[in-house]
Amino acid sequence: MRKRPLLLCALVGALASPAGATVIVPADLGELSRDAIAIARGRVAAVDARWTDDRGTIETIVTLEVERYLKGSFGPELRFRVPGGELGRFKSIVVGAPEFAVDQRVVVFLGARGPTVPFIVGFNQGVFRVVASDAGWVVTPPANLPSAAGVRVVRGDPARRPLPLADFEERVRTLAGGAR
Amino acid sequence: MSRRVAIALLIVLAAAQPEPAFAYLKFGVSVSGRQVTLKWAQTPIRYVVTSVAVPGVSADDFQAAVGRAFATWHAVSTASISYQLAGVTNAVPGRDDGLSTLGFVNRPDLDRVLASTSFLVDMSTGALVESDIFFNSAFPWSVAPGGEANRFDLESIALHEIGHFNGLGHSALGETELRAGGGRTVLASQAIMFPIAFAPGSIAGRTLKADDIAGISDLYPAADFAPAAGTLSGRVTKNGAGLFGAHVVAFDPATGSMVASFTLNDNGQFSIGGLSPGPRVVRVEPLDDADIDSFFDATRQVDIDFRVSFVDRVVIVPRGGDSGEIAIAVVPK
Repeated sequence: MRKRPLLLCALVGALASPAGATVIVPADLGELSRDAIAIARGRVAAVDARWTDDRGTIETIVTLEVERYLKGSFGPELRFRVPGGELGRFKSIVVGAPEFAVDQRVVVFLGARGPTVPFIVGFNQGVFRVVASDAGWVVTPPANLPSAAGVRVVRGDPARRPLPLADFEERVRTLAGGAR
Repeated sequence: MSRRVAIALLIVLAAAQPEPAFAYLKFGVSVSGRQVTLKWAQTPIRYVVTSVAVPGVSADDFQAAVGRAFATWHAVSTASISYQLAGVTNAVPGRDDGLSTLGFVNRPDLDRVLASTSFLVDMSTGALVESDIFFNSAFPWSVAPGGEANRFDLESIALHEIGHFNGLGHSALGETELRAGGGRTVLASQAIMFPIAFAPGSIAGRTLKADDIAGISDLYPAADFAPAAGTLSGRVTKNGAGLFGAHVVAFDPATGSMVASFTLNDNGQFSIGGLSPGPRVVRVEPLDDADIDSFFDATRQVDIDFRVSFVDRVVIVPRGGDSGEIAIAVVPK
C-alpha cells in the first residue's frame, strides 16, 4: 500500500497500489461483441435447473424469447446454460456465475462449441440487463466501451450511466462488425 | 454422493428460496426464512487434489502451490481455520460427489474464467456439503517462484479461490482501466478477493490484504479476536430512502489499509465487522464499473445512480464495539 499525503485524496483517487490477481480476465464491450457467436436481446421465459448430462452436478438452462438479434441467430427462442442452480434440497453455487429470473429482459453475448447448448461469453461479463428508467429502457451495468486511449474507470463518474437501449444496440452492432 | 443426492432430490420438499450472495465477504442462504452464513462447521477442512498436470505445472507442483495458498489463509493470526490434504484423487472438480476437490479442468467454454469455486449446499439446513475449485487448463499457468511472463500464477489464483472455499464473497476493492486500442486491465486492488485478474506474470496476489484478513477473521474468529475487534455500521440513503448495493469503504489512516462492504438491504444498512479499533475515513461509491453479478444475484436491483460521498467526520471504531449508526446521504448523478 502506498501511503498518500492526503487521506481524502487517497480515497478519491481510490484504491491504488499493486495487488493480486484473481479469477476473471476482463473484457470490454468490443471484445465481447467480437467473441460472441450470437448476441440476443429478449425476455427470460424459463429458468430450469437440471443435472448435467454426466449427472455430475447441477446446471441451469435459461430459455430466452428473443426480441432481436444483434449478431448471429439461434432462432426465435433460444436456450443457453449457466453453471449452478437449485434442484430440490440442493443448491449448487458457482461463485460469480450469472443468475436469471423469469420475465427479466436481458442482452446476452453467447458462444458455442460444437453441437452443445450455447453458453455466456465472458462468464458474468456477457450479460446486460434491460431495465425501465425515467429515460425509457436502458442497459445496465454501464458498458465498458473500447477506448482509443487509456481511460481509468472511475466509480461515481456522472458520465458512467446505463446506456439507452437503442444506443447500446447500435454500439454493439458496430463493434460486432455490422452483423445483424 | 451423486446417487444419494439424486435419491434425495426425489423425496425432499422444495427448499427455501436463496437470498443473494452477501458480499463483503460472506455468502448466505435463506433457510425457512432464517439467514444462514455459509461456512464450514468443522475444521480442519479436508480437501483432495487431482493428479492432472498441465504444461509448466506438474501434479506435485500443483499440490505444493495450493498447499502454500491454504497455508497463507491458515496463518492469519486473528482467524481460526485449518485444512487437511486428504489425498490425491481421480475425481473431477465440479462434480457433486461429497469431496472437496481441487484440480485442473479444460473448460474452453468458460473463456475468460481462470478458475472458479463451487459449493454444494443442503438447503434444508444451510449446511455446506462440499466445495470444489477448478483451474482452467485452457490458460497458461506457472508456479515459478518469481512468476513467469505470459503465464498466470497458480498460487495467486488459488489464494483467491480458497477465499471463496472458506465462504468469502468477492470484494470490490479494486479499479480497472480501459486500454488504449481495446481491452480492459486491472490497475490496482486492495483485496485478494477482487474478482478481476491482473495481467499474467504477476505474483503480487500471493499476499492477503486487510480486507481479506478482516473477512476471514469475522467468519472464523480466533478466540481472542472478537473482543478486540470493532464494527462500523450505518445507513446509506438517497432522496431519503434506503439504497441497496452501495459500496462502503473504511480507510484506516494509520495503516493505509481499506476494508469494505455493501449496503445489503432496502433500508440501506451496512455493517463492516472484523476491524481493528481506531479512526476511519468512510467513503460510499456506486458499483457502476463492475459486473454486478460478481457481487449480487440478479433478482436484486442495485442502485448505481449516485455520486461518491464521504462521511464528513472521522469515524471511530471502538474496541469490541460498534461505531454507532453512521448516516450517509448520497445524491443522484
